[in-house]
Amino acid sequence: MSINFTVKLAGTPIGVRALYPQTAEFCRKYICDAPALFRVEVNEEDIAHEREYAAKESKVQGLSPATYGDEYLETLAVYRKIADRMPGFDSLLVHGSALALDGNGYLFSAVSGVGKSTHVALWRALFGERVSMVNDDKPLLLLQEDQVMVCGTPWNGKHHLGANLMVPLKGICFLQRADSNEIRSLNPREGYAKLLSHSYRPRLAEQAVKTLRLVEEIVQRVPLYELNCNMDPSAAQVALDGMEGGRSK
Amino acid sequence: MKLNRNFVTHTVDGEQIMIAVGNEAQFHGMVRSNKTAAMIIDLLKQETSLEQIVDALSMHFNASKEQIASDVSNILDQLRSIGALDE
Repeated sequence: MSINFTVKLAGTPIGVRALYPQTAEFCRKYICDAPALFRVEVNEEDIAHEREYAAKESKVQGLSPATYGDEYLETLAVYRKIADRMPGFDSLLVHGSALALDGNGYLFSAVSGVGKSTHVALWRALFGERVSMVNDDKPLLLLQEDQVMVCGTPWNGKHHLGANLMVPLKGICFLQRADSNEIRSLNPREGYAKLLSHSYRPRLAEQAVKTLRLVEEIVQRVPLYELNCNMDPSAAQVALDGMEGGRSK
Repeated sequence: MKLNRNFVTHTVDGEQIMIAVGNEAQFHGMVRSNKTAAMIIDLLKQETSLEQIVDALSMHFNASKEQIASDVSNILDQLRSIGALDE
């Protein structure tokens, strides 16, 4: 028994063959009719791998291992297989929280636990209706000829903050916790290692090389910043003021 | 010896970056190499030996073969420690 459907992520239609109908339901806002440009298929072995990855990840983070159902693990396996191929379509999977303010995209990345979702919540509190969440956990960045877009996907974190949006990316901000709020620009060379460290590493060598190239293109085109911040509401304004200054790029 | 097939490189702004890929890859970091290390890594993309690497480097560097061999061995040790070397 299998489920077949096509999703459009970062403008690319992708055929999915899955074991569980819950996966199609999970992807419902992204399902499309267009002919798929590539296909992924998930089997029991892939689900078992995800169980292993999840166990390893819990161990690394010092958490006690949670038990996940096969249906949930299948959704992770699907995204992983998609992410393995997306660099071939000029798309990079990043770990970070992406929002749109007045239609302009901003991506916040940090090591787990530093507080990127918390910081992004400050933007929602400060700017209200002007903010739309694109993807609070694992957005796709799409390299187009003249700009980089940040894109929503169904994999947007445990609170499902995100939407099927694609907006131009105006800044990438790497967060660090600090006592006071301060933002500084990073040059592409400084930003390269940081962005790569928050990007998905495909399991295929050819796609990994494309990833290294994609990160290079993105850091050349999108202004990069390092934000030292606390949890005060003013942190959002400091971040925006600092990034709006880089708009001329 | 040769560079393990799970390691790929890319040069950004004159600096060589190397990462590991694949399900078996245990190394999750990123290697940023200076010009010497980058040259060694490039040579390792084909089957080669310590002697061949030392010979190639001595064409570029004005140091004794012993010094070069010592520096190359250091770099090979580091590559070995992250699983980047097939021997």
